[in-house]
Amino acid sequence: MRALEDFILRLGKLDRRWIFLIIAIVVALPLFFPLGLPIRPTNATQVAYDAMDALPAGSKVLVSFEYGPSTKPEIHPMAIAVLRHLFSKQIKVYVTCLWPDGQFMAEEALNQVAENEFHLKYGEDYVLLGFRPGNEAVVKGVVSNIRKMYTVDARGTLIDDIPMMKGVNQFSDFDFLFSASAGYPGTVEWVQYASDPTGVPMSTGTTSIQVNEVMPYVQSGQVKGILAGMPGAAEYEALIHQPGIGTSGMDAQSIAHLVIVLFIILGNIGFYIERKRAKKY
Amino acid sequence: MSGVEIFGGWVAAFLTLAIFSYLYKDNPFYKIAEHIFVGVSAGYWTSMFFWTQIQPNLFGRLWPKMDPATMNSGFMKIWYGIYNVLGAIFPAVFPDGGIDKGHGMHLIYLIPFILGIMMLLSISSKLSWFARWGIAYTVGMAAGLRAYGFLNSNVIGQIKGSAVQFLGGLPFFNLLGDSIFNSLIIVVGTISGLIYFYFSKEHTGALGKIGRLGIYFLMISFGASFGFAVMGRISLLIGRFIDLIDYSKASYHHATIWILVLMVALLGYSAFKDRQKPTAPEAEV
Repeated sequence: MRALEDFILRLGKLDRRWIFLIIAIVVALPLFFPLGLPIRPTNATQVAYDAMDALPAGSKVLVSFEYGPSTKPEIHPMAIAVLRHLFSKQIKVYVTCLWPDGQFMAEEALNQVAENEFHLKYGEDYVLLGFRPGNEAVVKGVVSNIRKMYTVDARGTLIDDIPMMKGVNQFSDFDFLFSASAGYPGTVEWVQYASDPTGVPMSTGTTSIQVNEVMPYVQSGQVKGILAGMPGAAEYEALIHQPGIGTSGMDAQSIAHLVIVLFIILGNIGFYIERKRAKKY
Repeated sequence: MSGVEIFGGWVAAFLTLAIFSYLYKDNPFYKIAEHIFVGVSAGYWTSMFFWTQIQPNLFGRLWPKMDPATMNSGFMKIWYGIYNVLGAIFPAVFPDGGIDKGHGMHLIYLIPFILGIMMLLSISSKLSWFARWGIAYTVGMAAGLRAYGFLNSNVIGQIKGSAVQFLGGLPFFNLLGDSIFNSLIIVVGTISGLIYFYFSKEHTGALGKIGRLGIYFLMISFGASFGFAVMGRISLLIGRFIDLIDYSKASYHHATIWILVLMVALLGYSAFKDRQKPTAPEAEV
């Protein structure tokens, strides 16, 4: 028993670079050799899926891209999955970006899903309105008069010349909002300035770190479900039966979590052993 | 795959591995990546804001596309005369015939234009006080803009959300959905959490006990935040690994592998040379 205690205490003095190496290995290995661990949708993901699945064909959905390359691994898979779901239901998708680099993410996602997979027509089935700086002022502008905020789309076409913009003048003309958000401005601003004042339902996909901030809105029903980080994306991919990047990363995610939990347990045991010995002597 | 894409893959693989190399120790590869990141970010954001906001939305409203019907007035001739002078110096920013971004003329935008220039004056020690006007406007505007949103969504919406239902056919216990037990937790957690932040009375007796219960709820919340933070970081690591694996393929000429081998060799050589260096003599006391 004493030898085991000594071993655990020695682990506590381990150079932290060994921990980094172990994490790197446990993350990399499942990417080369997938385990195929099961993915079950959580209630929050299911609610988001149900809300979008209930929209009839021809509905107008505003999808807002509020993330960049630094959070792409978490948000991009869910943006792709949501676009696949919406386009498969013949829903009209209007894309805005509150982050400048969100426009590049949106272009990449629309190229992949709308053009290459669904072969949809720009301006009739989907439109990229693009980025406008101003944070919550942009959200307020979209709510009051979208045509004042966006006189041209991301490709420089006048809004009046875009067929699917006919009859779309303000936020309340949309049937649903999905915010793919990695921070400020993002989900919270859409709740405060758009969804709550107008009553247009919304759902969101956020980075893991944001979940606790957004969850109160989900619990109170102000936001219809939430896709929480990469697991949220994987769950959504499972619901639409189209595994993607989210699903492929989940094995690595699960194994890495197990190892981190193991480290935390060992660290705590080491702490208690040290405290016990300190009391003894 | 085009040459540009392959080159992009090599650059991405180098920068990713250079940033990861900091986990070993601070080194020149990390420094290079760090400086490139800061420089590129500053340039990218400046360019992005200028071409998506200042040029189309500010200049585009001050000097919109010329309308021949209104160009006869003296003011318009002077106003667009200034534009033409600017256009001769910066033709890309002020193209011939006005800026056609779908806006009409709104001279009220001269106010934010002047406030913006005043904010830039903060670089001068003598004129930096001008910047306060711009900052004061921004702070006042933001406070006014946010007040309604917070009141409506974070106060009223959240009070509505925490007004839970105890009766009406709810099951006593349901792990994920609505239940009397979960409603009780919400009520107790909300009240005890609020009482922990109530500082007008000393936390003794019943108030102290409820406040202490509030700490446990807060700790659980912080624990959940920590768990989500770890999950997020691992997701980002997975994202970089997926890209690095892509860049190690033959289509990218095995960029990741070559760069990794080179980096490890150079860092190893540097560590070897450092060991050979004589250690500095200890200072005499």
